[in-house]
Amino acid sequence: MLKVKVYADRMSQPSRAVLIFCKVNGIEFDEIKVEISKRQQLSPEFAAINPFKKLPAIVDGRFKLFESHAILIYLASAFPGIADHWYPADLSRRARIHSVLDWHHLNLRHGAAPFVLHSVLAPVLGLPLNPKAAAEAEKILISSLLKLENIWLKGNGRYLLGNLQPSIADLSLVCEIMQLELLDEKDRERILGPHKKVQEWIESTRNATRPHFDEVHKVLYKVKEIIQAKQSNQGDGVMQSKTKSPLPSKM
Amino acid sequence: MGKLKMYTDRMSQPSRAVLIFCRVNGIDFEEIKVDISKGHHLTPDFTEVNPLQKVPAIVHGNLKLSESHAILVYLASAFTGIADHWYPTELSRRAKINSVMDWHHSNLRNGAVNYVIHTTLAPALGRQLNPKAAIEAEKVLLSSLKALEDFWLNGDDGGFLCDNTQPSVADLSMVCELMQLEVLDERDRSRILSPYKKVLQWIENTRTATNPHFEEVHNILYRVKKKLEQQRARTAETGTDPSNRMGGPSKI
Repeated sequence: MLKVKVYADRMSQPSRAVLIFCKVNGIEFDEIKVEISKRQQLSPEFAAINPFKKLPAIVDGRFKLFESHAILIYLASAFPGIADHWYPADLSRRARIHSVLDWHHLNLRHGAAPFVLHSVLAPVLGLPLNPKAAAEAEKILISSLLKLENIWLKGNGRYLLGNLQPSIADLSLVCEIMQLELLDEKDRERILGPHKKVQEWIESTRNATRPHFDEVHKVLYKVKEIIQAKQSNQGDGVMQSKTKSPLPSKM
Repeated sequence: MGKLKMYTDRMSQPSRAVLIFCRVNGIDFEEIKVDISKGHHLTPDFTEVNPLQKVPAIVHGNLKLSESHAILVYLASAFTGIADHWYPTELSRRAKINSVMDWHHSNLRNGAVNYVIHTTLAPALGRQLNPKAAIEAEKVLLSSLKALEDFWLNGDDGGFLCDNTQPSVADLSMVCELMQLEVLDERDRSRILSPYKKVLQWIENTRTATNPHFEEVHNILYRVKKKLEQQRARTAETGTDPSNRMGGPSKI
């Protein structure tokens, strides 16, 4: 059979989760870059792979699939030799992984993705920042982090549901949280700081999937530099306009 | 293993989906009512079952499980004698069903629930109607219906999602989601649904494949629909519709 094709943009957190999963598990694949910042996901070629024009998507032989959770489940089931802990055969353990993956959609993802977009990422994509939408998203994000800390990470295990080894749910949700790296450091600390178990769990997942985790996340740190450069330029601009303002100076 | 316990409120569409699934497939279970309108989902007893305080939830032996898709997938896998079409064993067919159920969360569910709350149900839940949020939700709902019509139901007349000839857990979950539109004003419901012929046919196919349980579990919705229709009729007669009090010129 031909190698599986993974259509991904490393700037998309579910793309990163699928790429890391393939690399950690030695799945042979071709990474096909679809750059969202260049609107390549809107091309007719990609619409033939995923008519919803979203990433990631895979093609395995003649079989096309999108939605990252469905892709992770398919890969964990279809490729031989993948350790059971990623997607356990035991029905109860598997069911609980489905449960946290389903929860992810309208909670953690629903909070983290719009919060990062509306509070820092928008200008990079040529959009205006939207503080009101960011405030709404922040509420969902904070309540999701609280539930991770107090419910999903309850127990002695290092991973979700008290597990001792990572599952596809850990990878998916940790990649979601990793996009908070793009935030201003103080903002990130304010949001993640109170959630100690969440922080330990991010580190555990990172350690369990190294070096691939860091390699696939590199792009995020590059974008962070771009954002910081833009922000400090703006900062200079603000200072200039202040000095020009007719308000009395303290000096 | 003890009898399966299902914690549900029939006013919640994912609760209806899991109840219909059990009945259609002859799964023996105990239905435990959690009345959301009375705050029963916030009690310590129910929080013990599901700390997230949402219905539906199940208890089966040592397993406590929430999230309706996870519950449907578990039931289809854990009970014997359930026809394969509900959650196919074949990996690529199963993957397609997982894909459409993932899509459901951020699209159809997000649009339908918010539209119904912000146009119709909010007062019953002690909240105010929110026309601006309703407009946002309508966009998501309409684009989801279009995606259902043009993509998910665009097979060679399979009759069900992903070109299947028999229903899966995804059909049941998503048709139950759409059934909540029953509580809308009839003209509004027709405006929203009638352009989507395949969607309408698919709702009927799913209803037929799961009757009489489908109708029986939806009865509560039809009662609420009737009540709301009577309210609307009274509002029209007495002219207490807030739009009449806005000072606009009357046609009479």
